[in-house]
Amino acid sequence: MSQSIANISRGSHIGRIIVIARHAFTQLVRMKVFYFLAVFAVIAIASNFFDLPQHEGPESIGVNVLRSIKSWSLGTMTLFSVVLSIVATALLLPKDVEDRTLYTILAKPVPRIDYLAGKLLGVLMLVFVSLALMNVLMVVVLQIRTSIVLEQQLDMAKALNWPKEAIDSLKLETAANGPTWSLQGAVFAVFLRASIMASLALLISTFSTSTLFTTIISFLIYFIGHFQADVRDAYLQAGQAGEGVFARLVSLVLSLVMPDFQNFNVIDAVIEGQTMPLLILGKLTLIGLYYAIFFTIASWFVFAEKEF
Amino acid sequence: MKVWQRNSILAVAVLAFGAARMPFEAGLGKELRTAGLTTEPMEVGTRDRIGQTSSAVALGGLRTLVATFMNLRAFSYFQEQRWDELAETFDTIVDLAPRTRYYWETGAWHSAYNAASYYINDSKLPALRRREAWRASVLRGRAFLERGIRNNPDDWSLAANLGFLLSDTNKFSAFRDTNEAFAAAAEAYRHSADTGTALPYVRRAELYALARVVGKEKEALEFARTLYQKDQNRTPTLLILLFVLENFEDPNRDATARAIELFGTPEKALEALAGHWHRTREKFPVYGVAATMEALEKMLNIPQEKSIFSQPMPPQWDMEDSFTK
Repeated sequence: MSQSIANISRGSHIGRIIVIARHAFTQLVRMKVFYFLAVFAVIAIASNFFDLPQHEGPESIGVNVLRSIKSWSLGTMTLFSVVLSIVATALLLPKDVEDRTLYTILAKPVPRIDYLAGKLLGVLMLVFVSLALMNVLMVVVLQIRTSIVLEQQLDMAKALNWPKEAIDSLKLETAANGPTWSLQGAVFAVFLRASIMASLALLISTFSTSTLFTTIISFLIYFIGHFQADVRDAYLQAGQAGEGVFARLVSLVLSLVMPDFQNFNVIDAVIEGQTMPLLILGKLTLIGLYYAIFFTIASWFVFAEKEF
Repeated sequence: MKVWQRNSILAVAVLAFGAARMPFEAGLGKELRTAGLTTEPMEVGTRDRIGQTSSAVALGGLRTLVATFMNLRAFSYFQEQRWDELAETFDTIVDLAPRTRYYWETGAWHSAYNAASYYINDSKLPALRRREAWRASVLRGRAFLERGIRNNPDDWSLAANLGFLLSDTNKFSAFRDTNEAFAAAAEAYRHSADTGTALPYVRRAELYALARVVGKEKEALEFARTLYQKDQNRTPTLLILLFVLENFEDPNRDATARAIELFGTPEKALEALAGHWHRTREKFPVYGVAATMEALEKMLNIPQEKSIFSQPMPPQWDMEDSFTK
C-alpha cells in the first residue's frame, strides 16, 4: 500500500498531495486534538437535561429537549471546526519552517502547489474526521431521546383517543426534530464553512510572519464574513439611502474581498426543525469549493516565489 | 516578478473573484430568506441587549445557541418573578431564533399567564394598578403570539394558542371588546386549522369561538352544520351549539323534538341543556335553552323542587372581582 503510494507520489500531483496530507493529518493528531471529543460528549449528554417547564400542550412534550441537543451539538461543532481549521492551518507552515521539514520537502521535486494543497487537505481530513465523530455522538444521543419523546407522546395520544391521522401528524412533527437528513446536511455545511476558513488561513499564513497574526486575522475575517451580506446589500441598494461615493466604494470593496458566511446560517433553520433542500446544500458546496480552490491557488501564487 | 507586481495581481484576482461570486451569493441569500431558511440580520437593539460577547457568538453563526443560553437566563427571571426582564429577554430570544415555536409560546405564556396571575395577587399594589398590570401582561402575551404568527404563518400551534388565549374565560375582561376577542379567536383557530397540520379539535374550537360572536350566528350555524357531518366532531358542546344556533335561526320551531333528536333521549337532552345553562362564565349563546328545558321537565314530570330553575346558579364570578377586594 505504502509502496504504491510512494510510486504514485513520484509520478503525480495527487499522489504527492495525498502523502503530504497524510503527514499533516498525523502531525495534527499527535497534537492530541481529539481530546476535545470527550468535552463534546459531555456537552451532548448535558444538553439532555435542559428540560425547562413549558406551556406547550401535551403534543409537544420533550420536543424542546431535542432542539436543545441539536443547538448545543451543532454550536459546539461550529466552534471546534472553525477553531481547528484556523489554528491548525496557521500552525502548519511555521511549524514546518521551525522543524526544517519544509526545506527537506522543497529541496525535492515537489511543486509548491502540491505542498500547500497537501497541507490543506490534511487539515480538512482532521476537521472532517472530528465532525464525523461528533456527528455520530450527536445522532446517537438524539435518536435515543427522540425515541423516548415519541413513546411518551404516543402514550398520551392513545390515552386521549386521538385519531390515526393526528397521531401520524404528531409522529412526523416530532421526527422532524430528531436525526434527519437535513441535520446531516447542516453538519456538512459546518464542514464547508470550516473548509473555507482553513483555505483562507492558508492564504494568510503564506504572507504572515507569525501564527498569532494568521489566527487573529482569520477570526476577524470569520466574524466580518457574517456581516458581508449586509455590506453587499448596502452596496446593491446604494443610492436609495443617499450614500456618498466613498461609502459605496468601501462597501463594494468589502463585499468583493470578504467571504459571505451568512448563507451558512441555514444551519440555524435546521436546528429549528426545518428541512434543508438538497439543492441548497449543493449550492453551498459549490460556494465552498469555489472559495477553497481560489484561496489555494492564491496561496500558491504568494508562496511560489517565497524565499526561505 | 517584483513584490508590488505580485501583490497587484493578487489584489486584482481577489476583486475579480469577488465580483464573480457576488451575484451567485446574493441570489442564494435572497432564495434562503424567501424560503424562511435564514433570518434578517440581527438588529442593533438585539445586539445591544445580548451584550458584546453573546453578540460576537451570535454573529459567528451561533444564533440558536445564544438563544438557548438566553432561554436559561429567562428561566431564572421567571423564578425570580422579574417580569419586565423576562419579557425583554424573550424579545431578544425570538429575534435570534424567530422560527422556534417553543420560544414564542413560552414567552407569551409567561406574560399572559404567569406575570398576569402574579399581578392579581400582588398585595403591594392598589387594586386599580393591579388590574392595569394584569391587563397589560395579558395584552403583551397576545401581542407576542401575534408577532410569532406573523413570523411563522404556517405554524398551527401558535395560532391555536392565540385562539385559546382570546377565548379564555379568565382573560375576557382584559380585552375591552369581548366580541372582538371572540371574533379574533375564531380567526386564529381558522388560521391554525387552515395550515393543514392542526389537530382535529382546532376546527371545533373555531366554532366554539365563532358561536360567541354577536352578529355571526348565521355563519356559525352553517359552520356547525358542516362540522356535524363528521361523527368525530359530535362532541356535547358542538351538539349544544348546533341546537342553540338553530333556535336563533328559527325561534318558532319545535325545539324540544330537535333536542331529543340530537341527544337521543329526553333525559340526556335535559342533562346536556342544564350543563350548558350553568356555563354562564363562558358566554355561550343560550337561545331557546330555558324554554326547551321547561318543556322537557314537564315531559319528564320533574317536580318543581328538583327543577333546574330551582337550583342555585354557579356564582357569577368575574375576573374583575379579583381587583375589587
